[in-house]
Amino acid sequence: MTDIIHNLKTTRTSQKPWLTLKAREMMEAWLFVSPSFIGFLIFFLGPLCAVVYYSLTEWNLLTQQATFVGLRNFENALLENPDFWHVVRNSVIFALGLVPLNMALALTLALALSRPFFGVVFFRTVFFAPVITSAIAWAIVWKFLLQGEGGFINQVLALVGITGPNWLREPGWAMAAVIITRVIKMVGLNMILYIAALQAIPRDYEEAARLEGASRWQIFSMITWPLLAPTTLVIMVITTIGSFKVFDHIYQMTGGGPENGTLVLAFYIYQQGFKFFNVGYASTLAMIMFVIVMALTIVQVMLRRKGME
Amino acid sequence: MRAALAGIAASALTLCAMTSTAVATDLRMTVWTGSEVHLKMLNGIAEGFKAKHPDVNVKFETVPVNDYTQKLTFQVAGGNPPDIAWMMEDAAPAFENANLLMDLGPTLKATEGYDFADFSQPAMGLWQKDETVYGIPFSTSPFMIYYNKDMFDKAGLEDPLALAAKGEWNMDRFQEVAKKLTAANPGKWGFEFKDGEGYASRMTHALLPPIRAYGGDIWSNHECGFDKPEAIKAVKQLHDMVFKDKSIVPPGEQGDYFSGNSAMTVNQISRASKMAEAGFKWGIAPLPSGPGGESPVIGQAGLVVFAQGKNKDIAAEFIAHMTSKENVAIMAQFFPPARKSVLESDAFINGNKLIPPEMMKNVAAAIANGRVHPAHEKSPQILAAMAPRVDALWKANADVDAAIKGICSAIQPLL
Repeated sequence: MTDIIHNLKTTRTSQKPWLTLKAREMMEAWLFVSPSFIGFLIFFLGPLCAVVYYSLTEWNLLTQQATFVGLRNFENALLENPDFWHVVRNSVIFALGLVPLNMALALTLALALSRPFFGVVFFRTVFFAPVITSAIAWAIVWKFLLQGEGGFINQVLALVGITGPNWLREPGWAMAAVIITRVIKMVGLNMILYIAALQAIPRDYEEAARLEGASRWQIFSMITWPLLAPTTLVIMVITTIGSFKVFDHIYQMTGGGPENGTLVLAFYIYQQGFKFFNVGYASTLAMIMFVIVMALTIVQVMLRRKGME
Repeated sequence: MRAALAGIAASALTLCAMTSTAVATDLRMTVWTGSEVHLKMLNGIAEGFKAKHPDVNVKFETVPVNDYTQKLTFQVAGGNPPDIAWMMEDAAPAFENANLLMDLGPTLKATEGYDFADFSQPAMGLWQKDETVYGIPFSTSPFMIYYNKDMFDKAGLEDPLALAAKGEWNMDRFQEVAKKLTAANPGKWGFEFKDGEGYASRMTHALLPPIRAYGGDIWSNHECGFDKPEAIKAVKQLHDMVFKDKSIVPPGEQGDYFSGNSAMTVNQISRASKMAEAGFKWGIAPLPSGPGGESPVIGQAGLVVFAQGKNKDIAAEFIAHMTSKENVAIMAQFFPPARKSVLESDAFINGNKLIPPEMMKNVAAAIANGRVHPAHEKSPQILAAMAPRVDALWKANADVDAAIKGICSAIQPLL
């Protein structure tokens, strides 16, 4: 009996485990990430690959007919379709207007609201509130405020003797209006990122500089701003990407008008895919937008690196 | 033995219940109305069908009007079309040409007492090709002038209904009245385009009635009509009303008729359901006539069954039920019929709970004389091509002739 028990123990201890410790850990890790990884495959990577394929087809959703056309859609968009370049131009103008304005305002607000003072939480909340407001509700309210003669903004301007434009019916002013209202909507997010970055800068640096006689501008330009560089890069990249992807705001406020003056790339893709049902062509445009945004991001990162060197 | 029998009986009952659950059919029908009054009426019609087909449940699914065709298309593309859809006239040609719709002809013609020939042929124009019936127009609704009687009284003006009765309701009078109404009601306007969307999604609905009153059309026989002399006159008159008289709600402003901010608008009688909450005296009248005579415009919607639907045969039967003489008469209070027998009946003129008979007579006349809004397979592309050119038109300093030519050069290739 004792021998049998001894033999069993020996067998059990000498038996090799089914999986090595490393493999077991690896398997556990995969099990933990698998729910989100499977979701990523099905809902992100799968559709992304599908869009690459669709961009090479002429596929009308209504007739359900898809024909492989190779690079024909790209050729049409880049070389033959004058609307495409008009739309790209609008997207670039939107980004050039929105990104610097948003960043400058976010930084100014962050500098003002990063230090504790009475009511600071209230002001931070006020500037952040639009970020969590529904984009459609936001656009509807602004559309109402930006009416022509009867609009609130123009009535306020009239009080100081200024005749305001018909904001959303004149191409240049419409673009300015959508940029400014978008900046006000989204600036709170960048403000919070800058506040977090400012609060992470050790106070000793500033105090030491002040003791050395540095002015406030010198402290900002030579200490604060360089230390904010990584945050600035992140903000610049996400704001640029966001500006190229803007859709809901345009959809509700101008519908791409007037005279296609605010017809930006994301809205044009929607129009092709969801109004004209040209899914193949819309996918091609989405691919081009992806490349543009990717290129801009790489350029920004490279410029920042060069600047840091 | 008794226990065994009871067991067998219980099993049989369960089996029957399961079988009846298994054969129950749910029909899904998309509509773009969310009005409680409309849905109550539609559910009542569905209940009537259930009396004949106890195993069939009809569910109405409201899809917002601005996204309607788009959502319908995506449901079709995703292999999940509704069994029945209420389809807009401008979407119909594209769906028909894509062979997505079932031929309802055999079912309708085989339905006892249906009387297919009762549908007026002009009303069937969009929905029938030779012997194939792609849909049944359940709403053949003319554009009418809605007016705010209180604002007319305040301005001391005869209302459009009275002017129409005297044969004096024409485009010149329309302009004159709109101007006076604007002057008498500061901060408000004489006229608002349909649903306040005349410069955007309803740009053709804004331009078509006056163009037809002058004897033109926006397009016909694949040819653009905006640059024809009749259309140019009409557009110039509207342009003057917006920017010189300032009597039409201009682009960029909101002057909702239903909230009392405009004295007149153009709409269909289904909107009468909104008037209960309006808080002012109102009426409806014909569209103003013009040098081209009376040219009413009709907006249509049809009922269709998707060919790929699982329950298409029973869905076609439901359409036969829904568009029977009795049910068309019930729906006629909101959705004017294409059935001649209902249109000519006293009940249609006298039976509307919201609109008095003297006004309903004009509705019936407008259906009889009207022509539907032009439809095209490429309607979305045409509207998108038109939009920037129409924007250029609606400016105070616009070169109207050049803008009109621009509209035609943009849409002609698509026509």
